[in-house]
Amino acid sequence: MKKIAIISAAVLMGTLAGTASAQLIAHKDLSVTTAVTIAQTAVQTCKSQGYNVSAHVLGRSGEILVAMRGDDTGPHTMENSMKKAWTARAQRAPSVNFAKAVQQNPTAGAIHLTNMVPAQGGLPIMVGDDAIGAIGVSGAPGGDKDEACAKAGIDKVAADLK
Amino acid sequence: MSKFAYVAGISLASAVLGVFAANAQLLTHKDLSVATATTIAQTAIDTCKAQGYNVSAHVLGREGQVVVAIRNPAAGFATYENSMKKAYTARTTRAPSGKFAENVKGNPNAAQFFLTNFVAAQGALPIMVGNDVIGSIGISGAPGGDKDEACAKAGIDKVAAQLK
Repeated sequence: MKKIAIISAAVLMGTLAGTASAQLIAHKDLSVTTAVTIAQTAVQTCKSQGYNVSAHVLGRSGEILVAMRGDDTGPHTMENSMKKAWTARAQRAPSVNFAKAVQQNPTAGAIHLTNMVPAQGGLPIMVGDDAIGAIGVSGAPGGDKDEACAKAGIDKVAADLK
Repeated sequence: MSKFAYVAGISLASAVLGVFAANAQLLTHKDLSVATATTIAQTAIDTCKAQGYNVSAHVLGREGQVVVAIRNPAAGFATYENSMKKAYTARTTRAPSGKFAENVKGNPNAAQFFLTNFVAAQGALPIMVGNDVIGSIGISGAPGGDKDEACAKAGIDKVAAQLK
């Protein structure tokens, strides 16, 4: 009887443990190879257009995967590219969306958060509806040009983002 | 006469050089391009990967600023910080970070330990142009600083022809 009770308990625990594991979240995340390709493609694309830019690729939690300081760029481009990427990751949307929102509402709560910046040039990196990271670019004469280079970076690895 | 003109030309050129000499009060530096820095970092990561080690890498410039930082999600998360600190140590001491580790062995209160970003760990090398330290690379994640350093060296070796 005692033995049966122990076995029953073990089976029960095993069942519970199995159920608990199924509660874990399955994630796809950027590899170092993919992240470097995205950043490097963005920097090179802007370079070929005559713009020196810096780039950041952030991961799912906003952690820096790749930081790249462009040739002869202003020192602020490193910070700004990180913040644009952060903004895009946080909102799962191009950072230009936040820039537009802030124009309508200059006291938007998010503007007071660290690393949020109302500037174009950051794009989320998506796998379906899941934002697995973001890229931010800074240094081109205009956020639209930064964003075009960011997009070139993501497009380069589009086949891997699934 | 034409010889005179030639000589005069040289004198003029010298005078112009004199102007340049005034400008020579500014420092002329060679610095890493983002392309070269990325090649160094990526080669180091790929080299370690080929040996079975996942590592993170930092390439710093002349002032210790980050030129390229690469976090390897497959490596431990401390490797990102550690690769930066190793690189900083190599840059500022103008020597392999392993040498600093040797120097402070048995001296846990070495003054440099009280400075930000110093770390007594092998795995970083200065990037030299002649005797000029233009940056450094730091690697972290391999099982042993000697293996980190070997990958760092592979990164620098890859662009050796450009470092002049």
